Formats: sequence, structure tokens, C-alpha cells
Amino acid sequence: MAQAQTQTQSGHAAPTDRVTRIPLAFPKPVAWLICFGCALCLLLLFCISAAVLFWRGIGVWGNNIPVNWGLAISNYIWFLGIGHAGTLISAMLLLLEAHWRNSLNRFAEAMTLVAVICAGLYPILHLGRPWLFYWMAPYPNTMTIWPQFRSPLTWDFFAVLTYLTVSLLFWYIGIVPDLATTRDRAKKRGLQVFYGILALGWRGSARHWARWRQSYRLTAAIAVPLVVSVHSEISLLLAAGPMPGWTSTVFPPYFVLGAAFSGFAVVSMIAVVLRDVLGLKALVTERHLDLLGKFVLATGLMTAYGYCAEVFDALYSGDKQDLGTLMDRLTGRYAWSYWGAVLANFVPLQLLWLRWARRNPLCLFMVSAAVTVGMWFERYMLLVTTLYRDYLVSSWGNYHPSFWDWSLFAGMLGVFFVPFLLFVRFLPVISVFEIKEAKFEESEAQHA
Amino acid sequence: MTKDHMPGPDGLAPNLESLGARLKGKRGRTFWRSLEELSRTKEFTDFLAAEFPALATHQPKFARRTLLKAMGASLALAGLAGCDGKEDETALPYVNAPESVVPGKPKWYASAVTLNGYAQPILGKTYVGRPVKLEGNPDHPASTGTCDAFTQAALLGLYDPDRSQSPRYLDRPVSWSAFDDAIQAQIATLNGKQGEGFRLLTGTVTSPSLAGQIKMLVQRWPKARWHVFEPVSEDLRLEATRLVFGRPLDQQLGLDQAELVVSLDDDFLGAGPRQTMQAGLWAKRRRGLPQGEGGIRLFVAEPTPTITGAMAEERLAAPHGRIAALLLGIAAAFDIEAGSALDLTEGERSWVDRIGGLLKEKAGRALVTVGSHREPQLQALALLVNQRIGSFGRTLRFTEPIAVLPPDGAASFARLVGDMASGQISALLMIGVNPVYAGFADLNFAAHLEKVGLRIHAGLHDDETAQLSHWHLPMTHELESWSDARAVDGTATIIQPLVRRFYSVRSQHEILAGLLGGPRDGREIIQATWRQNWQTDFDAHWSDALYRGYVPGTAAAIVEPAIAGDMSGIPQANQSDQEPAGEVNLVLRPDPTIWDGRFSGNAWLQELPKPLTKITWGNVLTISPRLAAERQLKNGDEINLEVAGRTLTGAVWIVPGQEAKTIAVSFGHGRSACPLSAGLGCNAFALRDSDHPWYVPAVQISPTGQQQDIATTQLHQAMDGFDFVRLVDASALSDGDQAVKPRSSPNEERHTATFYPRHKWDDPSWGMTIDLDLCIGCNACVVACVAENNIPMVGKDLVAMGREMHWLRVDHYYEGPPDAPASYFQPVPCMHCEQAPCEMGCPVNAAVHSSDGLNLQVYNRCIGTRTCSSYCPYKVRRFNWFDYTGDDPETIKAMRNPDVTVRQRGVMEKCTYCVQRIGEARIAAEIDGRKLRDGDVVTACQQACPTRAIIFGNVMDPTTEVSRQKADVRNYTLLEEANTWPRTTYLARIETKPARDEGEG
Repeated sequence: MAQAQTQTQSGHAAPTDRVTRIPLAFPKPVAWLICFGCALCLLLLFCISAAVLFWRGIGVWGNNIPVNWGLAISNYIWFLGIGHAGTLISAMLLLLEAHWRNSLNRFAEAMTLVAVICAGLYPILHLGRPWLFYWMAPYPNTMTIWPQFRSPLTWDFFAVLTYLTVSLLFWYIGIVPDLATTRDRAKKRGLQVFYGILALGWRGSARHWARWRQSYRLTAAIAVPLVVSVHSEISLLLAAGPMPGWTSTVFPPYFVLGAAFSGFAVVSMIAVVLRDVLGLKALVTERHLDLLGKFVLATGLMTAYGYCAEVFDALYSGDKQDLGTLMDRLTGRYAWSYWGAVLANFVPLQLLWLRWARRNPLCLFMVSAAVTVGMWFERYMLLVTTLYRDYLVSSWGNYHPSFWDWSLFAGMLGVFFVPFLLFVRFLPVISVFEIKEAKFEESEAQHA
Repeated sequence: MTKDHMPGPDGLAPNLESLGARLKGKRGRTFWRSLEELSRTKEFTDFLAAEFPALATHQPKFARRTLLKAMGASLALAGLAGCDGKEDETALPYVNAPESVVPGKPKWYASAVTLNGYAQPILGKTYVGRPVKLEGNPDHPASTGTCDAFTQAALLGLYDPDRSQSPRYLDRPVSWSAFDDAIQAQIATLNGKQGEGFRLLTGTVTSPSLAGQIKMLVQRWPKARWHVFEPVSEDLRLEATRLVFGRPLDQQLGLDQAELVVSLDDDFLGAGPRQTMQAGLWAKRRRGLPQGEGGIRLFVAEPTPTITGAMAEERLAAPHGRIAALLLGIAAAFDIEAGSALDLTEGERSWVDRIGGLLKEKAGRALVTVGSHREPQLQALALLVNQRIGSFGRTLRFTEPIAVLPPDGAASFARLVGDMASGQISALLMIGVNPVYAGFADLNFAAHLEKVGLRIHAGLHDDETAQLSHWHLPMTHELESWSDARAVDGTATIIQPLVRRFYSVRSQHEILAGLLGGPRDGREIIQATWRQNWQTDFDAHWSDALYRGYVPGTAAAIVEPAIAGDMSGIPQANQSDQEPAGEVNLVLRPDPTIWDGRFSGNAWLQELPKPLTKITWGNVLTISPRLAAERQLKNGDEINLEVAGRTLTGAVWIVPGQEAKTIAVSFGHGRSACPLSAGLGCNAFALRDSDHPWYVPAVQISPTGQQQDIATTQLHQAMDGFDFVRLVDASALSDGDQAVKPRSSPNEERHTATFYPRHKWDDPSWGMTIDLDLCIGCNACVVACVAENNIPMVGKDLVAMGREMHWLRVDHYYEGPPDAPASYFQPVPCMHCEQAPCEMGCPVNAAVHSSDGLNLQVYNRCIGTRTCSSYCPYKVRRFNWFDYTGDDPETIKAMRNPDVTVRQRGVMEKCTYCVQRIGEARIAAEIDGRKLRDGDVVTACQQACPTRAIIFGNVMDPTTEVSRQKADVRNYTLLEEANTWPRTTYLARIETKPARDEGEG
């Protein structure tokens, strides 16, 4: 009995120790510094690219008529999709009481947050007159003009803004108890104050816990439908237009599943890297990888269904324009993006049917990386193959992203990695108290 | 003062000593309060100009941007220096406004611009002295209110920042007085020699005043001579009439009378001084068909596709050298003795037989026409055929030549070069021509020009010829000068200035007056000419002619010439250009947008897509798909064409319908002294021989292995089985067969389902129809739209990226086999959809609908999401990717239409149905207290269209022309499946199915 109790105690203490010591005594400072330095360089590239863009205009990109939208919008959809996994893992699984999520949710949420910021920047950068982006918001103005509510863009604006707010709240509410723990363990005065402010005076009283539980669950309940609505809404950016290749009704679920697919893939990659680098193998176990692999596989297969449905849709409609776009996707100038998407998304994915492959970190990482690239191809393909050849053959044109298109994309990776690396370095990357809670509940159950 | 600074060998410039002398020469005490006062004298400014050209108003040859920067800086400095809070005492406040000038209200002037010397009548719209738009003169008999692309673009020619702005001597800016002094010395010498050694070279002259001046010149200096150089001339057509009638005559095609036209290599609908009139007459006849009045059937045989061929019922791709055989075959059917007939292939034989049969059937209402660039004996033979089928007086009429012919006729230029070569010429004055660039390669004008003692060039630009001349004199643009000219029908127009001249420039008349003496003022010179015609009541006649824009009753009289008795040896048509077997041959053509190079500095025309290839900013060597396959060439491949030691390097472009062994290239590109078009295209004049100026047989092709970037606005021209351009069978039309169903019109509830509520339309509510049976793809509408709506030009690179800004484009489609396709044009402005996807897509209400049916774009609300364009099925929206207008030169800013917003960077723009014109008409109607009438609003494109294919008006009123058109059985909607309910609809093209019309025996 006594032995068991000590075991439980050490079982409870260990995760706290493992996680909270990371910010206070980072295990691999050199590696982190190198990564952070690279990310800062990318961030600088972003600043330069954005400055050039603002100074000279959208013309520095490769966009034209008919391809009005290029990398900016396909990256926007891609980044936002990646973000979805965080919310799904945290909120949905929280409500479903799947305790295994506790090892993954914190960094998944952080990833969501930065991905949504990246995604949100793109539509503003891509505006012809970005300084007027706030005209999409329904604010009181002297001309009494509202946004145009039939436009999917108006709802995009609302959706992304809501999603960003809710993701931020959810992530922050979730991290408060762990910030308090870090504060308590910090030895330097400065760090104590830093974490103390962030912890909002958390003392762990029963009342605190009760309030916290209420708000956390409530935010989760708000966040879950957002996962579905945001990317459904993004899909309408394409599907609401009359363009061949976009008008399929499968678009909203196709986009949501694709988003979850790419999101889980990115979470898997981050999980594999963090558990290795930060020595968290006891917390993020092979079982977690296994579960992530299953999710990737499941959402991947659902996305594959979307591909089939899309093809079927075009064939079944028999519409000449739709068939033309289908042929353009399969055989046209940008067929590489279609086949790139199919190959990268679905071929390595089949490995995940095997248990060893899901549990093998390297294998899971490689498959996920392929999926991330594949989903990028897909977003690019959906956008460009429809636009470059639409209704009138006379207005067909080609699209070549320019240097500044690519540099902004590379720079945006800096926008992604800089805050994420700061999070990894300075905040508890795993939800300690939730793991402890889960473990406690498990041991109670054993005793009972 | 060193000798280097002397502007001329004769010590032309006044110098400081002379200024000092001026002061000294004054008796008594002379006060001059400042250098400024002293400097107000003419001598001082002249001295300044000569000594410090950069300080003078004469603009040195800066790059335009550099100049602007310098101007900006100096203006800023001037502003600093000027901040002393005092008014400029010399400025006059606007207290007593000049009568008849109302700021914001346009004034219209009737005048003309010229093309190849022929008047293109215009009405010029000016705001406070700034011309902003040219339109055809509706009262003028030759234009009936329409005009061509060149005429529209003449406006930019006036404001062209690259225009020459001061005289130059040995390529340095000098003053006019320097030139005047120098020329006086010359005149004295020439007077002594009766003008021996003096030559005048001009383009085609139709101007009575210029002709009078030339006559005076030759009278005064009997040994002086006048020569004419016109790269795209009608010399050979005049030669043909000389062969047949014994004297040169102009031919007037009576296309409005013709039921059958057989064109042998004659692009009579194509660009040129006659385009507006001939296209108008053709359309007048063609319009008759759907109205049951009998149409105009058109058969064309030509080596390279033209817009005339595109409108043909049947087009035969025949090599240059086979046209003679075809014509001989036709002539044989009328028993015309024209030398031995040439062998015909089976296909040619059946074509000739068919044509011969049709011509006999339609005798008296038919016309056979041969291109004015073809051999005179061929054209002469065609005249004989026309005589047999009774065309004379109906479908083909003759007038005395409108242009004044030089003494040597067609050989005029060659004679000049011959004399230059033999060193007979001591002084050559070249007015408005550029023979160094455009001269025949074999004559080598440039080399012989060196032998001329004094070379004076007068022109709008400091061009190739100017650079090889001693003196270059800047000339006035026609829109800022007094002159006169005759239109292609002979009607004279007195050209009056729309604006005070911009620079220190002189008109051609003023330059000649400098030689002749007499009145030096342009207006007085023209008045003197017309005073001879109007002995009494001159002032009334004069102002009447200016108001009308033409002199009534001056159209050339129709003559009925007799065929010269002696026809022996005349129509040796079988002696004409023969096709060397198996060789590739080159045909030369004027450029449809740049003409002979005179418009290569005009950005509107450079960026105007060629009607068939849709290429901008340059020319290409067009080849047939078969030749491309044989030589493994693809679009953009650079090749060398070699013939007789001369080489032309250009990019290949595959054109369906081109004759298999023919390469075609247009003139006007590859210029060395035109800043705007530097490095664009190849100079086809380099291969032009004076013996056969339009044809180069047996050229050798060798690919260079390089690729050239060609900027085209339409990458894909095959219609791919879509029904963008719909056809209706001519016989079905007359049978009442509903081959083309009547399509949606807003008056009727024919629309399919929609998610959104239906609009309640006001009356009036606007709509447009475009008759594809009449559209000849001539581009006049496109340039008219550019001029009216301040549309920026973007340059070759951006066009190649797909960023051209034209609100109205003319799509061109092929259908059928690549070697003999059918060819269609389709102008595409904004459709003004009633259910517009763009309006649904815009998040900020920048794309909205007005109650009178316009799809509006609110520029200052637009934030540039480009959703509207992504959603637009017609892709008619244009986006300001960069700031295209901010650093425009001041002259270009002055040209802008003040009624149309200049768009900012980052906003979407598109066709507005000329909403400013709608507003103007509505205000006028409200002031008059009446409803808008049909025809009150005329859009810019509609106004220009030479065939009147575009109709605009109120669709709520069933009596308007546009409503009648929309009720027509041919009316259809482009992309009806997109369910956008466009207000712009099309009338299907009428097709005569050859198999059905007459059971050929």
C-alpha cells in the first residue's frame, strides 16, 4: 500500500518535473538557438517581402487575369487547415474525455494559434489596398456602409477572426494552471514575476478549479463547431463562385476533412520532434503516435473520398466546362499539382495501416511530411487549375509565382516558427495538470 | 565662346558681344534694372538657347523619367524660392472669364487628322483647351461618324511625350531663328540657280494648300523638284487604271451596291485610309441580309489571313503567285484575252468555276477586286473583268485621283534616290517622311543621303531620318495646326487646331512658307488657298466649313472613263509574280496597328492586339501550321530569313489559315530611333525591294535556336467546340427556322432559377447588343474605349503576364481545320449581368448594381480582393497591379478625360457602359424636361465602330433599336449556362452554307 502510494506520488510528480523544467532549464539550448536563428532570418525575409509588396503593389507577384488568386490564397487555405488539428485534438477530445489527448493538446493548440495567425495575414497581404482591410468589418462609419453579407469573404473575415480569438482563449485558459506551476518552481525573481503575471494569480483553490473547468469546457464547446464552420466557410470562397471545378457540393466537408488531415499530419511531426528533443518519450508515448497515425489515416481516407467525389461530380454533371477543368487537372499544365497531391497525400499514407509504421516515429514523420506537402499541392491545384482556364478560352492564361511570391511564403514559415519556438522554449509544452489528473483518476480506479 | 559652341558654321548664334552691342547702340542713358529685363529680348533668349541648350526651353534628350525627376526637383526648389507671399504680377486673375468658356463643359471642334495624307474627319472634344477625345464626324460623307483605331489614337500622338520639341542642328537643340538665318542663305543661293539641286520630299499630298505651295515652289524654282515617298501607297492601283484607261484614276468600291464581292488578295476591310468608309459601306449592305434585303456575299483568296478573309463566306488560302492564275481563270470565263491561262489545280479550278458562275449570275451587282499592292497588270485585268460584269458606275466607280500626283508618279522616290546617288542634289527638304527607316532596301536611301549637301528633315519625331539630317525641324501635330486635306472620297476638310501648339513647332505649311515667302502664319496660308475658291462671302464659307468639319460639295466627281483602245500588251497578267516551286515566300504587309511605323511611338497602338494574332508590342513572322510542322518551329522561335544577302531576324508565329508556303511579316517595327518601341519586333523594310515591294520570293529559313518573348492577349484561339460565337444559317433565317432561339431579354421572364430576388428596374435601363455578323475585328472600339476611359497602358512585359488593362477586348476564334479555318471576332465588354457573380463576391460593396441596370464598380470602395474577377465568367475585369498612372508625364495627365476617374493602384476596374456619358445625357434631358430618347447615349465603342455592330440603349422601351435587336431571332447570351443574365448580348453571325446554297453542277 505504502509502496503503491509512493509510486503514485512519483508518478504524479514526474510529469510536472519533466515539463516544467523545460522552460527553466532548457535541455538543448544550442539546437534551439540555431533553429530560432533560422526562424528569425525567415521572419526578416517576411518583413522584406511584405515591405516590397506594400511599396510596389500586388504586381510584384505572379498573379494576373485570369489567375487573380495565387500562392497567397492557396497558402491561406493551407495554413488554416493545418491549424484545425489543434482545436480538434484539444476541444473535441476534451469533450469526449479522451485522456490521451492531454499529452498532445498544448503544443497542438499553440501550433493552431500560430498557423491561424499566418493564415490570417495572407488575405490582408493579398489585398490590392491592404490598409483598408478593416472595411470588411461591420463597424459604424459615416457612410453607413455594411460589409456585403452575401460575400463568402465577409464570412471568411468573421470566421478567421472568431477562430483566432477562440483558439487564443482556449489555449490560454488551458495553460493557466501550468503557468502557475512553473511560477512556483521558478527560482529567479524575474521568471517568478513573468510567470506569475501570466498565471493570473492562480492558487489552485477548489473554486478556481471549478471556474476553470466551467470556462474551459465552455470554450471547448464553442471551438468544436468552429472547426467545421471555418473551413466550410473557406471552401465557399471557391465554391460560391460560378467557376467550373469549384461548384461541387462536396467542397465544405472536403475542405474540413482535408484541413484535419493536414493538421494531424503537422501535429504528428511536431510530436515526433518534441518528444525526441525535449525528452518527453514517457509522456508522448508510442501509443500517442499510434493514435495520431490512425487519425491521419482516417482523415486521409476521407479526403481521398473528396477527390473521388469531385471527379464523380464532374463526370456525372457531364458539363463541358467541368469536364474541361477535370481534364486540366489530370493532364493540363498544372497536372503536377494534382498528381503531386495524389501521390504525396495517399500513397505513403497506406503505410499507416501497419501498426509498426504508426509506432515508428521516423516513419510517421515521413508520412506526415508527405501529407503536409501533398495538401499544399492540393490547395494550389484547386485554386490554379480552375482559374487558369475558365469559361472563355480566350481569357485562358498561365500563372508563374514570382520570386516575391515564394519569398513571402518562406518568410511566412518564419512567422510560424518564431512564436512556436518561443513557446517551446518558455512555456510548458504539455498540459501537466491534466496528465496528472488523468493518472490520478486511473490509479483511483485501480484502487477501487 | 569657343567655336565648339557655335551652332552653325555661318555663325548663326547671337553672342554676348552682340548683346553688349545692343546696349551700346542705344543713345543716351539706357537703364536696365536687371539682367532679367535685358534677358527679355529675343536675342538674349536665342543666345541662351544656342549657348546653354539645357537651360533653354528646348528639351535635351533625357530619358523621360530622368526628366520628370529633374522637373520635380526643380519645381520644388522653385516653390521654395517663390514663397514670398506675393502674387505674380504678370498673371491675370480669372475675373472676366473669356466668353464661351465654361469650365467643366466640353467644346467640340470639327477637324481632321490624316493617314497617308487622306483626311480622317473628326470631332474633337476639348475641356478648357485640352483635347481629350476624338470621334468621327457624323455629317461627313466619308465617315458618317465612325472612325478607325489610328484616328482614335491620334490624340495620344498629340500628347506624346517623345515628340520632338525644338529644332536640332547636328543633333543639338537650336532655335528657330538659327534655322531661319541658315535657310535664308540657302534661298539666296537657290534663287540664283533657279532652285537647281533642291528637292522636296513629302508623303502623299491631298492638301490643297500644300499642293498650292508645292506648285508655287516649282514655279519659283523651275529646276527644283518635288518627290513623294509613301511606304504603303496606292501607286500600283493608279498604274492599273493608267494601263486600262490611259490615265490614273482613283477607284471607289461601291460595296453598298454589291451583292457579290470577289477579293483577290485585297484586304479592303483592313486598316488604312479607306477602312472607315469601305467597312461602313460593306456593313450597310451586309446589314440588309437579316432584314431580307439581300446581303453581300464575299469570297476571298489570299496568302495570309486578313480581317477581310475572316469575314468571307469562303476563303481560299492561295499563295501570292497563284492569285494571277485564279484571276486569269476568272477572266477566261469572260473571254478576256490576257495572255495564256496558267494551269490550275483541281481545287483552284472548281473555285474559279464557281466564282465565274456566280459572277455571271450576279452581273451588275458584283465586284472583283485585287489588292492595291498587287502587280498593275493583275489589277488592270480585274478592271476588265469588272467591265464585263457591268460593275462600272455601280459597284466600282472612278474619280480623278484625290491625291496630287508627283511628276514621276510611282517612280518618284526611286528617281530621287537616283539623283542623290549621282550627286545632283545639294539640298533636300523632307517633310513628314522617314525614308531612312522605311525606304526600300535596294535603293539604300541612307547611304545616298550622305551625298546631299544640306539635309533638312521636318517631322513629329527625332527619327532615323532626322538623325542623318543636318537640320531637324519639329512639326505641329495635326490637332494643333491649321491645314487642309481631302478624305478618300475627295471631300475636303479644313484642319483647325484643337489646342494652342504645345512646343516651339511649325506646321508643314509654315515651314514651306519660310522658303516661299508670303504669309507665315498657318491660318493665313490656308485661308489664302480657300479664298481662291470662295471669291465672295469668304467669312461665311470659312466658318461654315469649320463648323461642319468639311467643305460641302468637294467630293470628287464620278467620271466614266473609256477603256483605252489599245489594250495590246497591257494585261500581261501571266507575266506577274510566279511562285518558285517548293520555295518559301515572304509577303509584306502594313501593320494593322502600327501601319508603316509612323505609329510605333504610340503606346495605345502598340498595346492594341493585332486583330488576328492578338500580338502586342512587336511583330512576328507568321507561318502556316504545315510549315511549322515541317521545319519543327513553334511560336516564339527566332529564325533568320535570308534572301539576296539580306537578313531579317524575327520570331515565328503559327497562324491557322496561312497559305502553307507563305511567311508574312508586317512593317513598322524594329525601329532604332523610337524610344517607346526600342527592341520590339523586326524591320520588314530591310527585305523590301523597289521592284516588288510586297513580295519576296524564295527566302531561306534558318532557326537561330533562340526564343523571343511575344506578348499576346489571347493564348488560345481555337473555339474547341464551344458556342461562344454562334452561327445561324442564312437560309434558315429566311425560312423562319429557329436555328438560333431568341434569348433572354430583361423584358421577358425567361430566366432560370435564382437564389436572389429579382431587381426592379428603372426606365431607362441599359443594355447592349453586338452584331457578330458585322464585327470585322478592326479594334476601333478598343482604342475608343482606351481614350474615353483613361485606360493605362502597361507595356510588353505586363501584357505577356496577362495584365493588359483593356476594358473591351475583341476575342478572335478559329474553328475548323488549321489550314482552312473559319475565323470569328467577338468584342467582349462587361456583360453587366443582372445576376452578377462579381457583386455577390465583393465583401465591401464595391461591385454593386444600379437601378438602371449597370453593374458598377466603386473604385474608392474597392480594397482589391479580386474576388469579383475570380468569379467573373467573362474575365472582363482588370486589376491595377501597380500604380500605372502616378508617374505619368504631365502631358499625359492633361490628356485624360476629366469625367472619368483615374484609378489607384490596387483597385479593380472594368467597362462601365460609359456611365459618364449616361450621366451627361440624363442631365441634359432633365434640363430640357424630357425623357431620354433612343440615341441620346452613345458609348465610346459604339460611336467608333465603323460597321455599327454595337448598339446601346434602353432595354425597357421596346421601341429602341437595342430592344429590337434583342428581340431578333439571332440574339443570344454568351455563356448562358452561367445563368448571369447579361445585359450585353450578341447577334449570331450569319453563315451561308456552301453545300446548300446552289446545287453546283
